[in-house]
Amino acid sequence: MTSINCSVRLLALAAAGVCSMAAFAPAWAQDATFVLNAREAGSPTYNPIKGTKLNIANNLIFDRMVMQDADQSFHGQLAESWQAAPDGMSWTFKLRRGVKFHDGEPFNAKVIEWWIPKYKGTENAFMVDAIDKIIVVDDYTVRFQMKTPDPSLLLNMATSFMGIPSPKAYEALGDKFGVTAAVGSGPFKLASFTVGQQTKLVRNDDYRWASALSTNRGPAKIKNLTLREIPDDSTAFLELKTGGVDLLLGVPTDFLPRIEAEKSLKVVTMPGTELFYMPMNTSVVPLTDIKVREAIALAVNQKEILASIFGGLGLEAHNFLVSSLLEAKINPKFNISFNAERSRKLLDEAGWAVGANGIRAKAGTPLTLKLWTQNGTQFKRVTEVVQAQLKAIGVNAEITVHDPASINAQYRKKTEHQLAVRAYDYTNADIIDWFFSAARMGYPNVSMFNDPKAEELNLKAMKQSRTWEERVTNFKAYHEYVMSQFPFAPIYQPTQSFAYSQTRLKVPDTIRGIKIATQSIMDIEVR
Amino acid sequence: MLNYAIKRLLLLVPVFLAVSVVIFMIIHLVPGDPIDNMIQIGSSPEQKAALIARYGLDQPLLLQYGVWLRNLLRGDLGDAMILRRPVFQLIAENLPHSLRLGGLAFLFSTVVGIATGALAALFKDSWIDRSVMALILLGSTLPSFWLGLLMIMVFAVQLEWFPVSGARSWTALVLPVLTIGLHGVALVARVTRAAMLDIGRRDFVLMLHAKGLSHRRIQLQHVLRHALLPVVTILSLRIGWIVGGAVTIEFVFARPGLGSLLITSLAQRDYPVVQGCLLMLAMAVMLGTLLGDLVQAGMDPRVRDNLR
Repeated sequence: MTSINCSVRLLALAAAGVCSMAAFAPAWAQDATFVLNAREAGSPTYNPIKGTKLNIANNLIFDRMVMQDADQSFHGQLAESWQAAPDGMSWTFKLRRGVKFHDGEPFNAKVIEWWIPKYKGTENAFMVDAIDKIIVVDDYTVRFQMKTPDPSLLLNMATSFMGIPSPKAYEALGDKFGVTAAVGSGPFKLASFTVGQQTKLVRNDDYRWASALSTNRGPAKIKNLTLREIPDDSTAFLELKTGGVDLLLGVPTDFLPRIEAEKSLKVVTMPGTELFYMPMNTSVVPLTDIKVREAIALAVNQKEILASIFGGLGLEAHNFLVSSLLEAKINPKFNISFNAERSRKLLDEAGWAVGANGIRAKAGTPLTLKLWTQNGTQFKRVTEVVQAQLKAIGVNAEITVHDPASINAQYRKKTEHQLAVRAYDYTNADIIDWFFSAARMGYPNVSMFNDPKAEELNLKAMKQSRTWEERVTNFKAYHEYVMSQFPFAPIYQPTQSFAYSQTRLKVPDTIRGIKIATQSIMDIEVR
Repeated sequence: MLNYAIKRLLLLVPVFLAVSVVIFMIIHLVPGDPIDNMIQIGSSPEQKAALIARYGLDQPLLLQYGVWLRNLLRGDLGDAMILRRPVFQLIAENLPHSLRLGGLAFLFSTVVGIATGALAALFKDSWIDRSVMALILLGSTLPSFWLGLLMIMVFAVQLEWFPVSGARSWTALVLPVLTIGLHGVALVARVTRAAMLDIGRRDFVLMLHAKGLSHRRIQLQHVLRHALLPVVTILSLRIGWIVGGAVTIEFVFARPGLGSLLITSLAQRDYPVVQGCLLMLAMAVMLGTLLGDLVQAGMDPRVRDNLR
């Protein structure tokens, strides 16, 4: 009896000890500081309906109907399930029950009926343009009646711009919504926001409705999350190294070896969402000649660029889309790969003969082209290597470096540029429409590509696809045709990397989603 | 003195108008477009045209300037196109950070600059003088961007005395203040030393020596006092830079402030914010110069006479 009493006392003491340790655990034990990716820095608002530049905090404050995994598949978040009509003219969504906004307001079908029309007249209106009306079937079922089929509806629904705000807070705050306060139903609440500096989030302790992409369905394991904006990459790296911050959401390729050399830090590399390419102005001589364009496209040695500039990190680009997209898997005969021999032969056929100085000429005119790029180490390096590769086939490329803020205005002059090294960050096949549609000549259609057959295929892909499968097929056809006309040369696909302190954070082995976002942040623990 | 102050203030009016024209025209004439930063991939050309019209960018430039100046005279700096807040609010949020950083750096460069300059003059041609001169050379030639990173490497990374960046505590001010201040120290020390050596050759100094006063006492009590006039002139001209001198340093140390706001807005061509920030910086320089002139006029009546 005595020994049992003794054991009980010991157990009670141990329990009390553990409890008191927990009580005296430092307040920062569940706090974490992340540094925003440079591309996400400078978000002026957390208003998903009106904002055009949103960062990761937006996705932590607002839930969306659906989310995407790394393989681009869709998973329910506030929508439990959905069904599209065979003709694509209606979509029915079953909504999750028991969801509450940060202000205690319930989420239901009425919210969706209020939410979608709010996009009208905003810069994000095109996301829901195809929806004609919202029918509330019951409290937790809505049907979207479509004007035209829109197979990319789920893709749009998964973007940051489709975060769902609390109707009550949205109406009450008016234009100040997202600026002074932001109320959603996400795993974190907005505590404070200083534009260009930092955003402080505090955990939503009521959160129990994370998507199946997170192991932890809620609440989040981090209690206070600070998202800082550090414009200089060196400063951000040094903050991580000295423990000033816990995670960098984006790491430039140049910094990867330095971070990998630190034992306490870990780098995670994921498939990229960015692509480097070289548009050719198809409206100016000699690039009006398809043989010259093909020759130039085939002169770009993707393998050499990947190895010499990026140390083998990333992928060679052989068409216009990031390789994780289904529409990137086109017939291999349309892919563009380095082939110096064919490149030289094409230039010979086009009448550009090699001169005494190694530069080709035709009727006394040397084959000299203007090659534009923008400020930034990676852009300059890629451009210089491309310049050398073009010289190898007898093309003299003269580089001009532009300020990123002004280069688009230069493209709009339409005839000033000939070649340019550019990059985009986007994971939807409709980027082909953005950069090659005749409706947007100069910029974004830097290639000044205006081809009736391409426009026809564009229309079919953009407006006449009824189902997702049909959309993929139509975009593949459009993509293949654009490739066949050589209005650009594909160059490189970077990986995306983030780095964190292993002594401070425990990050899941598998990162769900296209980027590190809500799906994975739900599972991150502070040690 | 009052007449002089009023005349100097009136002279600011045409300068202000000229500055406002230059600021407005520069940002509107450089290539670039804020609308590019506002539209989404997928937006139609019509949506872009609507945005251009909404912000009045389709109007003639002179008309746009007129509207901006009219609002400016009413105290309205307009609303940021990209940052979507009143420009006045953005400046009010950031200005105190710049003033704190610039003010402390100014104080540091004044105190340390005068002290080291006087020390160098006092021990002219000694190792102390040579060391101070070498430091002055370094301080005035090192780019502040590079010096900032060096400070971070030594004091934040290696010694871990101060945070790398941010504005979370007073310790985060030390490295940026030192980085900006060292530049000022070099300037103030050089002027102080040169002025003290110049004054030291005057007749009254010779007389003080003849009276048997110690060299140190003559230098610190008499020569330094007279040498402060050119130092005050230099310092007064630098008052304006309290606000504008930290642009790159705010960037390196990821600190809030007018400089960070200006760089962010410039990259996005957020016209109203760039105009507002540049106007603030220009006004700081103008008012700093005015203050300097008034101080000089107060100390030296000949300056007042020049404007008669």
